Amino acid sequence: MTRVSYMFKEAVSNLSRNGLVVLGAILAVFISLTLTFGTLVFGEVVRVNTLRWAEDVRVIAFLQEDMSVENTAELQAEVATWPQVDDVFYVSKADAYEEALILFANNDAMLSVLEQTPDLLPASLRVQPADPDDYDTIVTRLQSTPGVEKVQSADAAIDAMIALRDGLQLMFWILAVALGTAAVALIANTIHMAIYARREEIEIMRLVGASNWFVRTPFLIEGALEGFFGGALAVAFVVTAQQLAVDRLEDLPDWINLGIDNNFLVRQGALVLLFGVAAGLIGSSLSLAVHRTLRS
Amino acid sequence: MIKLENVTKTYPGGTVAVKDASLEIAKGEFVFLVGASGSGKSTLIRLIMREEQPTNGDLWVAGKHASGLPSWKVPHLRRSIGTVFQDFKLLPNKTVYENVAFAMEVTGKHRSVIRNQVPQVLKLVGLSTKTDRLPRQLSGGEQQRVAVARAFVNRPLILLADEPTGNLDPATSVGIMRILDRINRTGTTVVMATHDHAIVDAMRRRVVEIDRGRIMRDESRGIYETAPEPTVPVTTEVQTAVEDVAPVESIEAFEEFADKDIVSEPDTVPETGVVSFEMETDEVIEISPDLDPDSGDDAHVGDHA
Repeated sequence: MTRVSYMFKEAVSNLSRNGLVVLGAILAVFISLTLTFGTLVFGEVVRVNTLRWAEDVRVIAFLQEDMSVENTAELQAEVATWPQVDDVFYVSKADAYEEALILFANNDAMLSVLEQTPDLLPASLRVQPADPDDYDTIVTRLQSTPGVEKVQSADAAIDAMIALRDGLQLMFWILAVALGTAAVALIANTIHMAIYARREEIEIMRLVGASNWFVRTPFLIEGALEGFFGGALAVAFVVTAQQLAVDRLEDLPDWINLGIDNNFLVRQGALVLLFGVAAGLIGSSLSLAVHRTLRS
Repeated sequence: MIKLENVTKTYPGGTVAVKDASLEIAKGEFVFLVGASGSGKSTLIRLIMREEQPTNGDLWVAGKHASGLPSWKVPHLRRSIGTVFQDFKLLPNKTVYENVAFAMEVTGKHRSVIRNQVPQVLKLVGLSTKTDRLPRQLSGGEQQRVAVARAFVNRPLILLADEPTGNLDPATSVGIMRILDRINRTGTTVVMATHDHAIVDAMRRRVVEIDRGRIMRDESRGIYETAPEPTVPVTTEVQTAVEDVAPVESIEAFEEFADKDIVSEPDTVPETGVVSFEMETDEVIEISPDLDPDSGDDAHVGDHA
């Protein structure tokens, strides 16, 4: 117990010794993880909002309530033979219900309506066009097909949103990886400086037979703390930004939902924190591995 | 306690520091390693404390096969070895007490053991009144006494001293030697590398002479004499100086010899004086096993070579 508190004390005193460099390392972790977490959250928002349009589905034919299983299968087989259609699959009422649960995960009013009438949402055929330009042909043909209640096609906004997400995600990931590497290097540097500042103590510790982990653990804790603080800042920043966006953008059309399932935020936030701690441990391990003072 | 079998140490670059050295040191011995600078004394010390690994040959220290010891087991070996260096290696921002306590803290000794042992060891080296001083507030001799206290506080089986008096004037050196002698009398094996003729000649302990990495001479109750075929031409002055120092028979005579010089620097005499000093030493040894439960796995337990 005293040893654990000793090590935390040493780690914290190391942190305060190199204030500015430590701050730099923490900020690098913060920015890198903000990009990572921001990308994850943004990706989730887009994913939830385009759930029905995933896997290149661009046309949805909602089926009439009285369609039998056989008729539906026949209809699906027929649509699949159209030259403009790449693929078509069937989404039952139950599937549609599951989908809605995800979309409205943070909308309690909508959820209670759904739970009371699980079969509210119609079954549908989801069509993947062979060519994006063929939307209109498919829509027109489907509208005149018996058994189809209503046809919806992805509009330009959905395409733009998905394109934006793909572009931004790629860019953010590249930046996050670059900054993540910088963060690890900066943490390694702070640990390097801390080891250098304590080299006499370390030399004596090794002379009198302090175990390797006793010498090294304070530095590992120091790196982990830097990563943890950076990660915590990133999580706090992204969650705050997301809440602000939800509050500010209330006038958006109904079908856009900026809210995110809290479970997602908690799970991914914890993961991001873990990333920060891991980056800190990697940085300090790198430093410990190369430092001559610590070799036996 | 220490055993070398045909040990050779070649440094990267081809410098042969120790060449085919075989040596056995029994528990409780006091051994001087003598030889010119660069003869390999320090390398031998570093090999024994497993700071270096031999290129060839085998080495046993405190019952452990040091040359084959994996690096993660080195800390355990170090706990049975105390080390003292020419440059003291004290932590400048810690007090005398803290410097000595540090050696116990980092090896996980219980706080009550530390509080009990540190004052005793500081009393042994005659620094009871200076526990709160910082190293820079002490004389060189006092700093070295702190270093000796730190090396001894964990009750090592072996005490290695690499030129412990190299930075000290003769009178102050005598104070340090007196303490090392006391420590040796507690049963601790002491190996000291030195080229201080006067000390070696006065104490008449076992002398191992090294020349260019080879063990040239191994005498019990030896003196510091140059090798039969000296590598460095010995000047007449040095020879005269060696001859001037008459071989002294015992430690008492050595202290008598030493006292002549002490007048010039009174603070090198432990304040407690010689007689009570010895009593304290015995007291420490008697009670230490009970007060130091943590040391059961390193010091005191007879796992000697």
